[in-house]
Amino acid sequence: MTDLVDVNSREGLGAESLSFGRLALRRFVRHRPAIVSLFLLILMVLAFFFAGRLSNFAFDAVDVTKRLENPSREHPFGTDEIGRDLFVRTMLGGQYSVRVALQVSLLATAIGTILGAIAGYFGRWVDTAISQMINLILIVPALIVLAVFAQRFGGSPVGLALVLSGLLWTRIARVVRGVVMQYKEQEFVLAAKAVGAKPGRIVARHILPNVVGSVLVEITLLLGTAIVLESTLSFLGLGVQPPIPTLGNLIQQSKGAIDDAPLRVLLPGFFVVFFVLFINFLGDGLRDALDPRSKRQ
Amino acid sequence: MLTYVIRRVLSTIPLLIGAMYLVHVGVSATSDPLASLRLCLPRCQEGYDRVVEIYELDRSIWVRPFAWFGDAIRGDFGKSEALGEPVGNVLLERGLNTAMMAIPAFLISALLAVLLSVYSARRQYSKTDYVLTGFSFLGLALPTFFVGLVLQVFWGVWFPQWTGMKPFYTGSMRTGSVLELLQSITLPVLTLVIVSVAAESRFGRANMLEIISSDYVRTARAKGLSESRVIWKHALRNAMIPLVTLWALDFAALLSGSVITETIFSWPGLGPAFVIALTKPDLDLVMGITILAAVIAIVFNLIADLLYGWLDPRIRFD
Repeated sequence: MTDLVDVNSREGLGAESLSFGRLALRRFVRHRPAIVSLFLLILMVLAFFFAGRLSNFAFDAVDVTKRLENPSREHPFGTDEIGRDLFVRTMLGGQYSVRVALQVSLLATAIGTILGAIAGYFGRWVDTAISQMINLILIVPALIVLAVFAQRFGGSPVGLALVLSGLLWTRIARVVRGVVMQYKEQEFVLAAKAVGAKPGRIVARHILPNVVGSVLVEITLLLGTAIVLESTLSFLGLGVQPPIPTLGNLIQQSKGAIDDAPLRVLLPGFFVVFFVLFINFLGDGLRDALDPRSKRQ
Repeated sequence: MLTYVIRRVLSTIPLLIGAMYLVHVGVSATSDPLASLRLCLPRCQEGYDRVVEIYELDRSIWVRPFAWFGDAIRGDFGKSEALGEPVGNVLLERGLNTAMMAIPAFLISALLAVLLSVYSARRQYSKTDYVLTGFSFLGLALPTFFVGLVLQVFWGVWFPQWTGMKPFYTGSMRTGSVLELLQSITLPVLTLVIVSVAAESRFGRANMLEIISSDYVRTARAKGLSESRVIWKHALRNAMIPLVTLWALDFAALLSGSVITETIFSWPGLGPAFVIALTKPDLDLVMGITILAAVIAIVFNLIADLLYGWLDPRIRFD
């Protein structure tokens, strides 16, 4: 007896049923630009943290006999005005920039998630207060507020990370607030309430898992925004101050020599550009993968 | 609608006051206008007292903003110590320079964004579309200062080296003749265009794609309208509605001074004035520029919302 139905073509009733997580992972892995970007991003961050150790020079070792040298075997990126090795400095700069960006994305996500969840869950005056706080931060152009506070507190990498997080938590707060408001009236939340779960538990265990996807995408975008803002502020001389190098203040320091050694000015900038480019592709891939309605298989 | 406008404006006033208060306290708390004077104290007691009086340093920083508010309401924004002129004059003069750059930059990028999004959407997944998409991804990743520096290096160093000609000025504004003005304005405008056109055309393409596949566009085609009429008249109008918000925000940001572009090309607009004011520190000028930027942002947000309602009559203000 032959099968009337071809087993392999039963629509939606295939042999394997996959959880959402597995499906998302599969969609992500098949998003080629995202996977390539993730790989290159990891490579770049590893280089920032470890490549400097391969060099024989310290980031602050001055050698005035070798000022403004062009790239060579000894100094792959050349040297600066007082003979410091630019390869080591650029890698260390990248390391500080990435650290600031990571700290910002963690801290801003934490603040944004907590405040957004509180505003969304409790509503009423709590929501009004938090929403007005968000509007207050959005009303004044970001760079101006940032500059005011970065000039004073942003001299150190941690200080700058705090200032940036103080400004960048608003987007995540809005996303989380929206999702919490959407879910808090649903039956499973009512059920949890009925068995006596406390607000903290309801939000953390029942509601927040629903925002993980959108928050993950926001975190990647936040990394890109943070690194651009860090380098921009440092470029204007308002961010992290020397002797600590970051990608931004390396550009700022060599800006004066733009006519003689243009590549020296642009090089740290390329790292910023590629970091953000890869981050954007990664965010795109994550968004596609985590969207339950995504048709991409 | 009038009540809507009034309510919107009234509801932003407390926010504006709150923001200005925080900026005032923030700058006062983080800067010390007496730093240099304190070093030479017995000799320059007179100057020391004068600065104390101007900035009311003998009062608590939590009270100081109120004096500024009082003067500002009467239209007196104080005097810029750094530039030696009343803040109102500085804002006007610098604001005009900024507008001179912002308006062409905005118009060019808006026009380009429309053309590119229509083109990409009509030829979705064509080679040109892929190339344009690639460029817009790159454009989204480019920090403004990097674009500015690359243009400066290319037109200021490399191009003159290769050809011996320097068609554009890479620093300082010159207004001797129309040609000179064009030569000095081109690169900063180009920088602003590159930065904003990427996001605008991405967004425009997505909207256009959605509209092109909608039922009413199919109807328009089915009843025999010419393709150009369908695209430019029926589809484009609706596709551009969501872009209005983005445009309003972009334009507001350009008008309140593009700190980075103007600094790189030494354009005497609001941006560099703000950096000077901040590093001095020149409290009155910081406050003046901040309130100007905030008011511009609020007004353009409001305009965007009103335009939105005018373009899409289904949206009601109540």
